[in-house]
Amino acid sequence: MTAWTGTEIPGGPDLLEIARQTLLDTVLPKLDGDARFKALMIANAMAIALRETRLGQDEIAQAMQALAQAAGPDTWAVCHDIRTGRHDPGTAAHQKIGAALLALAQARCRISAPKALEGDRK
Amino acid sequence: MDETRRASLAAWLGARAGSVAIRDMALMSGGAIQQNWKLDVTVGGTPQAWVLRTDAPATLSVSRSRAEEFHLLKAAHEAGATVPEPLFLCTDESVVGKPFFIMRRVAGIAAGHRVVKSETLGGGRVALVTALGRELARIHAIRPPRPDLAFLALPDRPPCTRFVAAMRAHLDRGRLPRPMLEWGLRHLERSAAPAGDIVLCHNDFRTGNYMADDTGITGILDWEFAAWGDPHEDLGWLCARCWRFGGPGEVGGVGPRAPFYAAYEAASGRKIDPAKVRWWEIAAAIRWAVVAIDQAERHVSGREPSLELALTGHIVPELELDVMRATLEQPA
Repeated sequence: MTAWTGTEIPGGPDLLEIARQTLLDTVLPKLDGDARFKALMIANAMAIALRETRLGQDEIAQAMQALAQAAGPDTWAVCHDIRTGRHDPGTAAHQKIGAALLALAQARCRISAPKALEGDRK
Repeated sequence: MDETRRASLAAWLGARAGSVAIRDMALMSGGAIQQNWKLDVTVGGTPQAWVLRTDAPATLSVSRSRAEEFHLLKAAHEAGATVPEPLFLCTDESVVGKPFFIMRRVAGIAAGHRVVKSETLGGGRVALVTALGRELARIHAIRPPRPDLAFLALPDRPPCTRFVAAMRAHLDRGRLPRPMLEWGLRHLERSAAPAGDIVLCHNDFRTGNYMADDTGITGILDWEFAAWGDPHEDLGWLCARCWRFGGPGEVGGVGPRAPFYAAYEAASGRKIDPAKVRWWEIAAAIRWAVVAIDQAERHVSGREPSLELALTGHIVPELELDVMRATLEQPA
């Protein structure tokens, strides 16, 4: 028995998933031209929203934390420091910041474009 | 286009080409900024396949005007590049409501995902990248000063420096900080080359923007971003990972670099600097990211709610990943 939160099941992500599957399985085959292109975009948008909900922000938060530890908590200030050469090669935090930014880009891709990570180690 | 406009178009064309009858006219797909109309006519009884290109209604165009695009096409055509032949330019807005030009319609396939999958388009992968090298060499043979292209400003500083400054200006207007793009720009700034040859750059020379059939390239399209710049800008844009459409070749997803570089060097007499091409490949990812951010902003701001624009924003992370991978592989 689980405690009741008051909301009905299935919840938002499950609905999104079955709605997307229905769109792809039964609606898409009946479409062509511009309508087909739009339906594929809708399915893509639903997939991004689903991954964002299911994966959560943990990986991104972790990379953001690594960046904050290496370069400071204010990302606008970090950008300014990168631009003005404060984190160039040979400076203390250069490698850590590079690694944190790579991890952040990977975490963002996990939600927006997981195909880009194929062949990449996590 | 209504009957009145079609009639005034037929009369305008008739005054230039002899007796012109419009047999069919239909809006072609694609083009948020420009409209392309398929135009089937007879000229003195002979059927001709044309395209009428004009501005889309209610767009704030930031790209080149149709008149400028016409002059660019003319210059490219005269330089021997394979482009749809430009025929007539009309800047008189009373004819169809907006300036337009007429060019010949070319046959072939342009869609990137289809081009990169084909083993036969352009005569096969090696033949196609060889032809792309030759085409780019012909375009790059156009060099300033050119009175007919006087609307193109000459660069006031080296193209590398100009690029970094322009991208930073975009980021400064953005809603979010972009540390990966800043990282990439700083990398590029540290490794920027001094000015070299200045040539006409197409500036959107990539798979998706040329048409090909099984015999070769049939037309280089979309000249609206052309400008004076460094020849490596176009080479890097074509080779950048973000324009390979998942295809196997490093040149536009189509084929290998070696025959492409060799064809370009032979036809242009200019030696390619591979390090400069790599520089402009990183630049390509940043430029596409900045454009994607701007497009998504049109949706995010509420000015222009659009699923397509909204999804464009989600291309940014993979471009950032390209930038990070490239800068960590090639320290500068």
